[in-house]
Amino acid sequence: MSSRTMSGRRHGAARTPLSGGRVLAVAGRVVALALIVFFAVGPVLWMVLSSFRPADELFRSDPTLVPSSLTTEWYAEVFDSEALRWFANSLVVAVCTTTVSLIVGTAAGYAVTRFTFPGRRILLACLGVAYLFPAILLLVPLYLVLVTLGLVGGLAGIVIAHLTVTLPLTTWLMKSFVEAVPRELEEAARVDGLGYLGSFIRVTLPLLRTGLATTAMFSFILSWDEFLLASVVSQGDSMTAPVGMAGLVTSFDIRWGAIMALSTLVTVPVVVLFLVLQRYFEKGLTAGGVKG
Amino acid sequence: MVSTPAFLTRGPVGQRQRAGLALALPAALLFAAILGYPLVESFRTSLFSINLLTGDAAFVGLDNFGALARDQALLSTLGRTVLWTVLSLAGQLGLGLAAALLIDADWPGMRWIRQFLLIPYVIPVIASALVWQWMLDGHYGIISTGLQSWGALQPGVSPLGQEGTSLATVILINIWRGFPFAMLVFWARMQGIDRAQYEAARVDGAGPWHEFAHVTLPNLKSAAVALLALRGIWTLMYFELVWLLTRGGPAGSSETLSTYIYKVVTGEFRVGYAAAIASGTGLLLTTAGLTVWVLTRLRGRWRHV
Repeated sequence: MSSRTMSGRRHGAARTPLSGGRVLAVAGRVVALALIVFFAVGPVLWMVLSSFRPADELFRSDPTLVPSSLTTEWYAEVFDSEALRWFANSLVVAVCTTTVSLIVGTAAGYAVTRFTFPGRRILLACLGVAYLFPAILLLVPLYLVLVTLGLVGGLAGIVIAHLTVTLPLTTWLMKSFVEAVPRELEEAARVDGLGYLGSFIRVTLPLLRTGLATTAMFSFILSWDEFLLASVVSQGDSMTAPVGMAGLVTSFDIRWGAIMALSTLVTVPVVVLFLVLQRYFEKGLTAGGVKG
Repeated sequence: MVSTPAFLTRGPVGQRQRAGLALALPAALLFAAILGYPLVESFRTSLFSINLLTGDAAFVGLDNFGALARDQALLSTLGRTVLWTVLSLAGQLGLGLAAALLIDADWPGMRWIRQFLLIPYVIPVIASALVWQWMLDGHYGIISTGLQSWGALQPGVSPLGQEGTSLATVILINIWRGFPFAMLVFWARMQGIDRAQYEAARVDGAGPWHEFAHVTLPNLKSAAVALLALRGIWTLMYFELVWLLTRGGPAGSSETLSTYIYKVVTGEFRVGYAAAIASGTGLLLTTAGLTVWVLTRLRGRWRHV
């Protein structure tokens, strides 16, 4: 990888014999790195660990770091509850949102990159504004619109709400991925007799595979994580996982074991996607993949 | 004679334009329907007094905006929001820079460490909020009980539940969540720095500190500005973390603008007033954004002259 060769340049000088000062500098660096990794990962480890600890180990005023026994009772409790429905809702919403915003976003991203047409600049400007626009400012009007349409309380309403978050991003990301595909390839295909649609589907689309995967992943994660809009739109049976989980902490008897099991479960898909697609993930993140 | 718009003409130009229009149309319509229309609707709503509970709606003109100016709670919320934004950004960028410098080494396994460090930013915010609430739980939380045993905290108390510490705690957790992003952006920028600049500095006898201050930092300036602008807007109006951790409490001590709007809507059902706050904020942000944009364009023009 390029990072290896490029960052090696400054530390390549360390091949000289080790002096005391250099050893100390390296040791300091290792300690600082360990501390920062602990700070970043510690809470997540604690979440997973807590989800496997029996109740008498969780609820004590002098908690120990290392558990003396592990249990899966919290997961059994969670799988026996309505939480499964929340996860099913979240999955349906995230898949629908991703599908719609990927199709519409790819078409629009392709259009603004490859074609000139009236309104192109306006569309680009709106895209930028929509991308920066904080969701909380959209809360009231979006809610009123969904009430008028009779979509509050259903999954379709949540999908529409989530599209306001994902669509600007998917369009933006797909625009940058289309820009990276050489225009000449399509033109050559058109010379060979393929139409606009044909050259797009046969030539450009296959080259956009990684871009599409990256964009789909971000869209899925955004929808899967989204709490604000879903908390207002979803009710009762249509609650998504974040909305349902947020309601668990208000009660007097807080079942932390079950809550940590749910937190772990909601995290697993995201972290798996992240680890599988990590190279694309970094690219998408720096392109502004996640708000907030 | 009125000339026909190009996209209505026959021939390749018209055809290309029509193809572009057709592809962009679904997105344009969706943008208009789910972003454009609600924004207009938001401003219109702000001119009404609407109560969702009773269903009453009455046109009140600019009364809601007048009420904004008299709202003492809103004023102190604004101050807290600025504090939250500035401290969160300072912490995220500072820690992000430190982390970027630390991972910028050719050590075995460094790629994995970079992935681990990204985890706080990657995991769902609901999970982050819940695990921090659990760790800070006043009776059983690992951090709170630890602080209590050192005498830094009263028994049975959580830092999130104290008026004096709630905002600081939420900011700290926001730094935890946001620093990996700053780290990634800084680190990516560092990979692009021309190595000749370091060699030149070394030839001049520069030490590591001098190298950092005179080569690394200036190269990171554009990345820092971009981070401040983007994350500035999002942190200012970032809702989820604060709401899920404290609901803006206790006694409003960690209330920010976004949780305040949410409460006015979902708790008090004063939709018109909430729309007025949102519209006001939107106008303020747009004005600020336009000012910055115009200023940078002007500066760019002066530089070219």
